[in-house]
Amino acid sequence: MAMAALRGPAGRFRWRVRAVPGGARGAAGQQCYDLLVIGGGSGGLACAKEGTRWGLGGTCVNVGCIPKKLMHQAALLGGSLHDASHFGWEVAQPVRHDWRKMAEAVQNYVKSLNWGHRVQLQDRKVKYFNFKASFVNKHTVCGVSKGGKEALLSAEHIVIATGGRPRYPTHIEGALEYGITSDDIFWLKESPGRTLVVGASYVALECAGFLTGLGLDTTVMMRSVPLRTFDQQMASLVTNHMASHGTRFLRGCIPLKVERLSDGQLQVTWVDLASDRKDTGTFDTVLWAVGRVPETGSLNLEKAGVRTSPDSQKILVDAQEATSIPHIYAIGDVAEGRPELTPTAIMAGRLLAQRLCGQSSDLMDYDNVPTTVFTPLEYGCVGLSEEEAVARHGEDSVEVYHAYYKPLEFTVPERDASQCYIKMVCLREPPRLVLGLHFLGPNAGEVTQGFALGIKCGASYEQVMRTVGIHPTCAEEVVKLRISKRSGLDPTVTGC
Amino acid sequence: MAGYKEVSVAGYEDFMQAVEQHNGKTVFAYFSGSKDAEGKSWCPDCVQAEPVVREGLKHVGEGCVFIYCQVGEKPYWKDPNNDFRKKLKLTAVPTLLKYGTPHKLVESECLQANLVEMLFSED
Repeated sequence: MAMAALRGPAGRFRWRVRAVPGGARGAAGQQCYDLLVIGGGSGGLACAKEGTRWGLGGTCVNVGCIPKKLMHQAALLGGSLHDASHFGWEVAQPVRHDWRKMAEAVQNYVKSLNWGHRVQLQDRKVKYFNFKASFVNKHTVCGVSKGGKEALLSAEHIVIATGGRPRYPTHIEGALEYGITSDDIFWLKESPGRTLVVGASYVALECAGFLTGLGLDTTVMMRSVPLRTFDQQMASLVTNHMASHGTRFLRGCIPLKVERLSDGQLQVTWVDLASDRKDTGTFDTVLWAVGRVPETGSLNLEKAGVRTSPDSQKILVDAQEATSIPHIYAIGDVAEGRPELTPTAIMAGRLLAQRLCGQSSDLMDYDNVPTTVFTPLEYGCVGLSEEEAVARHGEDSVEVYHAYYKPLEFTVPERDASQCYIKMVCLREPPRLVLGLHFLGPNAGEVTQGFALGIKCGASYEQVMRTVGIHPTCAEEVVKLRISKRSGLDPTVTGC
Repeated sequence: MAGYKEVSVAGYEDFMQAVEQHNGKTVFAYFSGSKDAEGKSWCPDCVQAEPVVREGLKHVGEGCVFIYCQVGEKPYWKDPNNDFRKKLKLTAVPTLLKYGTPHKLVESECLQANLVEMLFSED
């Protein structure tokens, strides 16, 4: 099957065009392919293995998951070095961090991933064009190279996987000129210094989290609640932990303007929404984490008749990932109503490719997708939040089991475990189907992954309770949950 | 066309010296098991890959440097502490790489003309 990958639009973006030749030549030297993929990130790559502006891999590899987790790890190691002396290691305190050394190592690793993807693409005989793409009509895409050369590509099926980009709050004076986003933070050669992170998203909290962990003076400014789409009790515990571990929070505040001072520092003016009082602060860096917008702006989607959501500008799709035009599909962050996650984009891309090749008819299942927020104390979850469960089934039909626990590793170094907490949301009626699991603690991603399988298989509370725990771990506390919220009993786990 | 300079070296020290000498240039390096008196290497993959690499060289840019490096005899190569493994992080021969970048091809990847061409021409 002929596959092509095209780069998307976007001023600063370079998209790869990938094509697998095979079709006949169209009119006037136009190349015809069976499948054309626009975009080279998680979804696009999985669908046809393609690249983006930085290097193949998209947001995840270049400015998302990968560098994020590595910097989160760097920050956690700082904490471990501190704990180490309690366990007998002679570690000179205070321990200092060199941003430059970490950044270089992380950036080199990302580049090796870019290359790895490049090799894989070539290996699979996918033709790769580093062009900016836009639609000419529903079967034809125009690709423009770096040098300005144009090429027309047409295909029987087209997949749009151009992803999203961080949003700049352009209505705030100085936001664009003086602020940076997650696109930039991972590529800074020098330390960002004293940083103001604006936003309440997981991007904001994860970045603020590792910056604090690396020893940088960090403040988070939020308009209202943290982690809006997540379970709110868990979100509060996440931010409480951050607040008691060095991150400053300015809640209920919004920035008004950013100015540059004569010494190069940034002065931010903001207003406290409750009191209407204005205040100012000085920072070295202002990081905007106020949402992401889809990359659809310069694709000329109207020329193809592909419809987008008027609110989000994301591309409207159905369960087959098809857009308003039957042979044009959209996957990943650019599609409306999809989780903005790498693994779902990858799986959707693979399943779509298999359907288009006639190998299968399986659709992507977007239910019970597990995820983890990599804040200093990590939060892993799968399934419904407590609010969603109650909204769907009614408070009387929901039973929530919970526990505060203390990781063994925290005992000797006397680490604060006040926010280490687990809750399992179930249907009250037997067999008490597990609707959602929420775990706050170290290695939350590793803990949650296995339980996601259980929930996918329709595990009941009974089955979870009959599962023997692995000892001593934090994960075992999940299978030992006995106290319900309804009982009002103290959910603190006592020693074994 | 072939606007590149070829340098032939043997051993780690020689290799690093060649790299030093050409500081500032784009340097490609091909690491192969050493050849015997008859000009045959103990590494069969290296023997197979060499013509593919030479063909790929036709696509390299002007002013590039191509270092052909014989790593040593088989027992030296197998030693996990040899300089190539420890300092250059090589894991196998043949290895074709663009020095100072993560661009490299290892073993069977070097036998694939399209990958070799990509490594020589990609920026």
